[in-house]
Amino acid sequence: MMHDGWRILPLAALAVAPAYAAEYMTVEAAQRAAFPDASAFVPIPVNLSTEARAHLVEVAHPPGARDPRVWRAMSGGKTLGTFFADAVIGKQEYIGYALALDAAGRVLRLDVLEYRETHGWEIRNERWRSQFAGKSAADPVEVNRDIANISGATLSCRHVTDGVRRLLALNALLPAP
Amino acid sequence: MPCCPHPEGWVARAQVWLGTLVEVALPSTDASDARFAAAFAQIAHAHHTMSAHDASSDLARIAREAHRATVPVDAGTYAVLQLAQQLFRESGGTFDVARAPLLARHGLLPPGAAGNTHDSGAHFGGMDALHLEPGLGVRATAPVALDLGGIAKGYAVDRAVDALRATGARAGLINAGGDLRVFGTDDWMPVRVRHPAAPAHALQLFEVRDAAVATSADYFRDGHRGLVDPRTRSLRSFSGSVTVVAPTCALADALTKIVALQPAESAAILARHGAHAFTICGEGPHSGPQRATACATTCGATTANLRLPLAAAA
Repeated sequence: MMHDGWRILPLAALAVAPAYAAEYMTVEAAQRAAFPDASAFVPIPVNLSTEARAHLVEVAHPPGARDPRVWRAMSGGKTLGTFFADAVIGKQEYIGYALALDAAGRVLRLDVLEYRETHGWEIRNERWRSQFAGKSAADPVEVNRDIANISGATLSCRHVTDGVRRLLALNALLPAP
Repeated sequence: MPCCPHPEGWVARAQVWLGTLVEVALPSTDASDARFAAAFAQIAHAHHTMSAHDASSDLARIAREAHRATVPVDAGTYAVLQLAQQLFRESGGTFDVARAPLLARHGLLPPGAAGNTHDSGAHFGGMDALHLEPGLGVRATAPVALDLGGIAKGYAVDRAVDALRATGARAGLINAGGDLRVFGTDDWMPVRVRHPAAPAHALQLFEVRDAAVATSADYFRDGHRGLVDPRTRSLRSFSGSVTVVAPTCALADALTKIVALQPAESAAILARHGAHAFTICGEGPHSGPQRATACATTCGATTANLRLPLAAAA
């Protein structure tokens, strides 16, 4: 039904565009932005015991969670903080992000390095949708709240939040600077 | 969610705020860490003051205290509430940021949002109960639970644009999960809007310069399909998407909700605000090799900062 003042846009003028993807920062640029005074970024190996891994899964288990890359930001002999490069993978997107913590383990900044929509969105979305069938407001609302938002990026942001929680827990398990 | 390719030679950064991916892009000649930081600081500020989920936010304090004493709020919160009041009046109650209890009842906001521990909307006052006092104070004649989800993201984008301009940036683009604003470009920027039934597909509906764009849809909300109509206090079916082009992003953001709920009456309110709306409906490829189909309609003010496809302009 057409209302007053509305007219139909001819579809011949519409073009279907590919899904969204963007690269924002390199790891090196994010390191410099987080620790402009650092003279070196020293890689820290992540060697976790089975118990430590189980602990991390309990804290948060974002999709696609793998061991992040970790560096200590150094200025001469002084440790400025810790820098993580990590990624979370949702049903529909891949997000690479960087977390910078100060020497006391507090969040300095969080930058998205890369955002990419994955292929086969519609097919996977059917499966994704079905897992929420029958949920009501009485169910745990974490997922609900996210669905209620309007844009596709919203889901990925919950995953980033989970990823950050996991990195903060991991940071506590790393050898002291 | 509208999204746009960055113009050639621009630099973009992204952070996570307001529950979504927020992107700031600047021409490479204007890009600097300090400028990006200034823009993201404004977004972060709006996130902290206007969240419905944070116990220390202005909204949580209003919900807890405004019916007992005047609550001092951030200038940004105050400005958003002023605009919300104006749009509430102009839309005959369709745009209603005091509808949080109603949303919670329909399962669209978590119980406990905005400091709300009640689970029924019965005890809450509506927009009529909310009074904005001189000196950035908020007072209410009954407990009010506010949700600025339909306007705060757009407002944050506007403030970030102001911050970029204040640093001397000549041009820029900010996109907060589909609420976007571009300024200072001579070139027309094509805006793509997600197909409401096939979100991996985007339709290019129009081009803008020096304008804000916002889209409302429920791309990912199967099972809770619809928008709550505050006037009838019921869930209205809403399966398409509404995109609004307006001078500011707060207006574009808010107007999408008004157009979605009362398309028949929206021509006048769009014209009053120098805004233009698009709706998209259609089918996605549910299974098999069919292609997505789409239909689109348009309504509103013809502005110098919006260019429709040639065929539509004819």
